[in-house]
Amino acid sequence: MYFDPAENFIYPPYAIYNWMIVAGFFTAVVLVVSLLTLLVSKGSSGFGVFFTELIGMLKDVFSLSPRRIWALTRLTFMEAYRRKALAVFVVFGLLFMFAGWFMGDSKEIQPDQVKVYISFVLTAVSWLTLPVVLILACFGIPEDIRLRSIHTVVTKPARRIEIVLGRMIGVSMIGWLVLSVMSVVGYLWIVRQIPQASQELLKCRVPIYGLVSFKDREGNYGKEGINVGDIWAFRSYIEGATKSRAEWRFFNVDETMLDSEGNLRLENSFSAFRSYKGDMTRPLFYDIKLFNIEHPEISYTTQPQPVNEFRSKQDIIPRKVTVDDVQYDILNDLTTKGSDKVPKGILGIEVACIDRDQYIGMARSDLFIRMPDRPFWVGYWKAIFGTALTVLLVSMIGVAASTMVKAPIAAVLTAVMYILSGKNPHQFMDQLVAGQVQGGGVLESVYRLVMHLGPSTELPANPAFTVVQIFDSILMNFLWLCKQVIPRSQYFNMPEYVANGFDVPWATSLIPSLLVTSAFIIPCVMMGYFALRTRELESK
Amino acid sequence: MSQSEPVIEIRNLSKIYRDFWGRPKVRALNSLSLDVRKGEVFGLLGPNGSGKTTTLKLLLGLLFPTEGEITILGKSAADVSKNERIGYLPEESYLYRFLNAYETLDFYGRLFNMTAAQRKERSEKLLDLVKLAPQARRRQLKEYSKGMTRRIGVAQALINDPDLVMLDEPTSGLDPLGSRDMKDLILDLKKQGKTVLMCSHLLADVQDVCDRIAILYGGELKVMDRVDTLLKSEDKTQINTSKLSAAAISEVEAVLKRHGASDVSVDHPTATLEDLFLKTVQESRDRPGHRNVADRTSAT
Ligand SMILES: Nc1ncnc2c1ncn2[C@@H]1O[C@H](COP(=O)(O)OP(=O)(O)OP(=O)(O)O)[C@@H](O)[C@H]1O
Ligand SMILES: [Mg+2]
Repeated sequence: MYFDPAENFIYPPYAIYNWMIVAGFFTAVVLVVSLLTLLVSKGSSGFGVFFTELIGMLKDVFSLSPRRIWALTRLTFMEAYRRKALAVFVVFGLLFMFAGWFMGDSKEIQPDQVKVYISFVLTAVSWLTLPVVLILACFGIPEDIRLRSIHTVVTKPARRIEIVLGRMIGVSMIGWLVLSVMSVVGYLWIVRQIPQASQELLKCRVPIYGLVSFKDREGNYGKEGINVGDIWAFRSYIEGATKSRAEWRFFNVDETMLDSEGNLRLENSFSAFRSYKGDMTRPLFYDIKLFNIEHPEISYTTQPQPVNEFRSKQDIIPRKVTVDDVQYDILNDLTTKGSDKVPKGILGIEVACIDRDQYIGMARSDLFIRMPDRPFWVGYWKAIFGTALTVLLVSMIGVAASTMVKAPIAAVLTAVMYILSGKNPHQFMDQLVAGQVQGGGVLESVYRLVMHLGPSTELPANPAFTVVQIFDSILMNFLWLCKQVIPRSQYFNMPEYVANGFDVPWATSLIPSLLVTSAFIIPCVMMGYFALRTRELESK
Repeated sequence: MSQSEPVIEIRNLSKIYRDFWGRPKVRALNSLSLDVRKGEVFGLLGPNGSGKTTTLKLLLGLLFPTEGEITILGKSAADVSKNERIGYLPEESYLYRFLNAYETLDFYGRLFNMTAAQRKERSEKLLDLVKLAPQARRRQLKEYSKGMTRRIGVAQALINDPDLVMLDEPTSGLDPLGSRDMKDLILDLKKQGKTVLMCSHLLADVQDVCDRIAILYGGELKVMDRVDTLLKSEDKTQINTSKLSAAAISEVEAVLKRHGASDVSVDHPTATLEDLFLKTVQESRDRPGHRNVADRTSAT
């Protein structure tokens, strides 16, 4: 899998919009489901109960007692501790001892190996923590009900909402404890595993991305460059020795983007595509032109540079450059001055391929301004923070689910929700909901399968089929609803940034994931409250 | 005892247990009405499965009534704030088995928003009161014997110094000494002006401590009155004295015979509540629907 850090770019306002969608929809779903359940179980008096409980919940919210919540949190903690749930540490310890053997200890290692180490640690940490959290979250309250120890709690002044909150906080805190111990060990392991000579591979690059567009061989702007049928389909290719170019615009370029020596560092990860195999050891060459987009004649072009295939490559451009005896300051002369029409500080950069009949491929994130690096631990701990948010999310959803259904079902539900929150399921759901998947909806596909019809065969317009379509559209709407309710863990992919040597950005990763997590608080707590209030807490 | 305000009012309370699909399974309570007044010890009797525990759970809001009204301490059963003044000992002590005695009381004390100092003081006092052996107090409850579990259960029910104490079979699992202590404890609570509602099978216990009792059978109220009223037999006279010699006894018998007494027997007093209980159960079997419930106003 190729990691494209720019792909996740989300406008912060969109994250807020997303927050409102999740919080709003999920809350609405919880309310509707609670009302329906009450109507089914209590008949028309369900309405009255619903509103009484709703008001009761608001009252409880305003009279929450931190001491009671803390008591329940502590209880969860002691339960996990005394029941030896923390034995997971042993598994973790063993894993690392063995991994240490297999991963070897050479004097010098490759950047890719560093990536493997970091991914291994971050993955191991979350895959060992999350199941513990899932189990504790989903089994706590159902066990309390089964053993009826909850009877001694709810006959005290403990509010249902406090029970739910105490569990959620307790489980999260256990998760965080497990996580922090593991991540400290993991961090030390990475640092020790990587030999002294290769320590500089541990870093967090801070990229500034621009927007890219492509020009074809005649020099006309097109949406994309050439598709050479490569597996990295998201890359566009520019043809050598023609007018084909990739053109970036970087915004708000100023002194802060220069490195400590005052140079502009550009980093690229272009890929090469040869239409003929000449000398395979001879690299393809590109050059980079920096220019003022308002006055394209003011420009500076680098010497031809070899493409570093499979590796990133840096081009260091000094602040003061001389072109035909004229000295330019790249910040003052090559960026826009700022006017009514054009904002200040836009820098244009054009990349050309020099070799005839050869192609260089690139995508938006393949060229960026590299800001001064941050230390590795910054990114590492941000990635752990992302996992900590996932812990919170899983414990909230798990506890909420466990108030409604039996523990194993709650665990499966939560796990499914977690898996569906991945990037690929979300994309698939997006396509499904947008009607982009061939073969129609669920029933329609089944119909086609049974009738041996291809996905594109026109279907007859008969009443039976209309029913199929109506059913599918209801299902589709349901799916759309589910999609809104399922968190997007796309925001939680911090480990990937770190493994690829990038810092984790606040704007496009940390803040959106914080928002997503917080969006679940209200509906999850509400769900737990309603379930515990309107259910007889007898084991059945 | 003077006519005082009711602490618990139950009106036409019915409970039908349903299965998952909402189909009625068991009718555990049928149109029960009773009051428990402030300061009295009220005993709920009945054979197994007659609905005693169900009644307590309905009062506490653990179950929802199918029909009927409950007022408890002036509030509805669903109101959590009533619990501030209630202590409850469940049928089996459903406590957290991984906590020790101190931790258990500390936990429940926190649920009442008690401060650390209050919790500490109260725990010590209660553990002494229920006579839990000091060396057992730091052991996890899962290692406790039945009687020890019962004792800690009682202690947790009293953690908040409640006005109303509901005990579901408080003496079950206790040795004779323990039962004695428990009865003293209940009488002590009464002396402090607390209201006690208890269920029990051990009729001797009930007879000793209860002011009033109700006997349930098959979810229906069969008998309710003051214990002394119920046990007073108009056509019998009981004479209690200190131990007499055999000669003295025959002399007394002779005197009684002379005054026309028949069926003279000189014996130790018997637990006559047992007779009443057995009679009620037998009668309920034979004559469904029959009741012997004292008028609410006269039973003071
Ligand atoms: N959770 C439940 N589901 C279904 N039926 C129940 C449930 N709990 C109790 N019952 C039934 O309700 C009836 C009354 O039970 P309850 O526990 O109130 O009796 P009890 O008087 O406390 O008996 P015991 O003296 O044995 O404790 C019984 O027939 C019992 O089978
Ligand atoms: Mg019972």
